[in-house]
Amino acid sequence: MALNICWLDDLAKAKEIARQTKKPVLLDFFNPQ
Amino acid sequence: MGAVTYPNEKVIKFVDYNFVPVQIETSNTALVEQFKVKWTPAIFVLDADGNEAHQVVGFLPPEEFIPTFMVAKGKWYFNAEQHPEAQGMFEEVLREYPDSGAAPEAVFFMGVSRYKASHDPKPLRQAYETLMAKFPGSEWAKRAAPYRLIPA
Repeated sequence: MALNICWLDDLAKAKEIARQTKKPVLLDFFNPQ
Repeated sequence: MGAVTYPNEKVIKFVDYNFVPVQIETSNTALVEQFKVKWTPAIFVLDADGNEAHQVVGFLPPEEFIPTFMVAKGKWYFNAEQHPEAQGMFEEVLREYPDSGAAPEAVFFMGVSRYKASHDPKPLRQAYETLMAKFPGSEWAKRAAPYRLIPA
């Protein structure tokens, strides 16, 4: 099992993978400061 | 979220199994404006076309994050009219996290999904009765109030 969530940083890529895997996208906006 | 919830082992496993996770910094003004983000954390559940199934603003501890996004995934199934799968997610919330903040919404959408799948309105009345019995102060009990008029 991964030790961290394997976040993507590209929404378009996430939607493409979502279509392929038949999973929803979990989109998290965060402020790194 | 990054300090407490996302490093949690159950959360990592849950997210990995159920979602395609993507994290966007608020410096990405185009997406911030597109999603009308005014405060963080702001978390959205989307389908592959970008349609929103659920939105949460603010911190969630692991024991609330998991049932909250189980309901979100149930709503994603619901929007795709995959009712058995949607009901499976709502049932899991009510079985595994019956006292969570997400449980009343799971009861509500369980009733709506069962109605949509069967066209029998009784599950709506049952949802209202369950909400009044277990979560009478919840916003979902108020939203279900019209269903009290459905014959039992």
